[in-house]
Amino acid sequence: MMTEDKKIYVISVYSENQIGLLGSISNIFARRNINIESLTVFPSEFPGVHHFTFRVTADERIAAMLVRLIEKKVDVIKAFWFLCDSVWSSEHETMSKLLEQRMFDKKDK
Amino acid sequence: MDKIMTGAEILLESLLAEGIDTVFGYPGGQILQVYDKMYSYSDRLRHILVRHEQGAIHAAQGYARASSRLGVVIVTSGPGATNVITGIADAMIDSTPLLVICGQVGTAALGTDAFQETDLIGMAVPISKWTMQIRRPEDVAPAVAKAVYIAMTGRPGPVVLDFTKDAQIGSAPFIYSKCSFIRSYLPVPETDPESVAKAVELIEESSRPLVVCGQGVILSGAEKELMEFVRKGGIPVASTLLGLSAVPSDFPYYVGMVGMHGNVAANMMTQKCDLLIAVGMRFDDRVTGKISEYAPKAKIIHIDIDPCELGKVVRVDVPVAGDAKSVLSKITEAMRFSNHDEWLCSARHYEEVEDKEVIAPEVRPTEGRINMGEVVARFSEVCGNDAIVVTDVGQNQMSAARYSRFKRSRSFISSGGLGTMGFGIPAAMGAKLGAPDRQVCLFVGDGGLQMTEQEFGTIMQERIAVKMVLLNNNWLGNVRQWQELFYGERYSQTRMLNPDYSLIAAAYGIKYRKVVEREELEPALREMALSDEPWLLEVMVEEAGMVYPMIPPGKRVDEIMLSTDKWYDDRG
Repeated sequence: MMTEDKKIYVISVYSENQIGLLGSISNIFARRNINIESLTVFPSEFPGVHHFTFRVTADERIAAMLVRLIEKKVDVIKAFWFLCDSVWSSEHETMSKLLEQRMFDKKDK
Repeated sequence: MDKIMTGAEILLESLLAEGIDTVFGYPGGQILQVYDKMYSYSDRLRHILVRHEQGAIHAAQGYARASSRLGVVIVTSGPGATNVITGIADAMIDSTPLLVICGQVGTAALGTDAFQETDLIGMAVPISKWTMQIRRPEDVAPAVAKAVYIAMTGRPGPVVLDFTKDAQIGSAPFIYSKCSFIRSYLPVPETDPESVAKAVELIEESSRPLVVCGQGVILSGAEKELMEFVRKGGIPVASTLLGLSAVPSDFPYYVGMVGMHGNVAANMMTQKCDLLIAVGMRFDDRVTGKISEYAPKAKIIHIDIDPCELGKVVRVDVPVAGDAKSVLSKITEAMRFSNHDEWLCSARHYEEVEDKEVIAPEVRPTEGRINMGEVVARFSEVCGNDAIVVTDVGQNQMSAARYSRFKRSRSFISSGGLGTMGFGIPAAMGAKLGAPDRQVCLFVGDGGLQMTEQEFGTIMQERIAVKMVLLNNNWLGNVRQWQELFYGERYSQTRMLNPDYSLIAAAYGIKYRKVVEREELEPALREMALSDEPWLLEVMVEEAGMVYPMIPPGKRVDEIMLSTDKWYDDRG
């Protein structure tokens, strides 16, 4: 999977506050032999929602695949990938819309 | 006022509220509370007492796959929990909806290496769709509701509830509401209309399209939509191992099974098609062979409910995320009628070659020992091609897949992704309980049978009328085949000395007959098929039998061995 396009990516994950979730997400990296270079875990700006960030060296295809695999976890709300030097501003906006939309969908049922 | 109950009772009430009436299990120390309460539920909840926890989980898998319902397993902590691990992994890779409930020590003892304590969650997370440890009685009902919803929706899979003893003993009010929404979980991805439009465009441009359907078609209930799509587009359709029976074997557009031991037509057409439409399948390496030269001339449309599958192993030109049933009807509606008769008819040449070189000597021999394929084909005829065929793993599995014919969907149950030997007997048992009105037949080898033959006890106790055909070659046949072809005929640890199976069958009160000569075969199969009792039919088959065609591992799917010294030659 080595390509010359390897860059530093940040994978940012919003999830429910579920015990053991960190282990299960980091296992996604471990199983594919991808080294986590840095990791942060903190409560997000949204109440009850946790925020993880992982920094990895990968190519774009791998970064996108990791995000899909992480999002597949039932307790993960949304994951994003960025080139490390990109800004994060769009992320906040997307999250607020998404949470609002999903809660609206629920009321709709 | 809501009724106050113990957590154990809440579990049972919750199962009933979900319409569950059959569970498979085995009692033990840390699940005793549940078993104690179950005593009063025997009129509403049928508990099948297995002989080993692995039997419980494979039975639940067979039950789920035959009936399209949820398979439920109840076992104790520690060894009970570790004994179901193989089945959890099997259900995960084969997308089978299961609810696995394991007892666990009390919360105060968690992490203390208490008797029969094990970190089940830690073990089960990588191989299950979702796991949860229940620590309080008031969490039981919501946990079950959420678990059932997750297991059954989207791409189905196994969910695991680790049920601590204090949550079983403690009391809480019982309020049940089914789960239909989890904000962090979208079971079915939204289908991008543009991807559908692009797919239609590629289909209309194509002159040699091929559909490869997988189990996703069956799980989605999209059999009818698939056939309508194929008819309207005039497109040949092949199936993966787990997709078998999604379309009837005599469907005019059906060209057979793809993969290592698949049909020549399906594999050759994969290499020749200019468009491959994959529906609810995941490009397993047993399907693709050498991945870099798989379907080299084709653009690929991949329809799957799990976005992680799209582009996972092959490059995909048009990924379509969504449920097969709705995606297929959208595509069918948008596309023009078409036909590719010449292309479809090209299958005939491959079928003739395969029939002459492989099928005739395997299925219609006039001398020598009985072949596995022959047994399967005769049984299929005897049952009017309408039995549920369950297999173990190995040559029995490949022969059953190649030579069974199907009329109805959900008629082929096999451990595909994990390839679990020992799956057969319990899965057949579960399938019969899930589809009691259908003929359920197991093909199993002498190796796989001995891995889970303790379940004969369950078959005896519950009088489960499964028809088990033991294809006995006194070898671990599939490994022997590889040793013959790729390991210089060094038959390391594959020769098996077998017990007298007539005595084993007799010990369990299972009807038994042994077939050695060809002329005994059909009468014996007939006698077994007509019986409404459990049966073990032992057929002594050719010891050096091989399953062909075979694409050796790492080869392209058009590099096909037709026999030990003959390869398929496309130039005729």
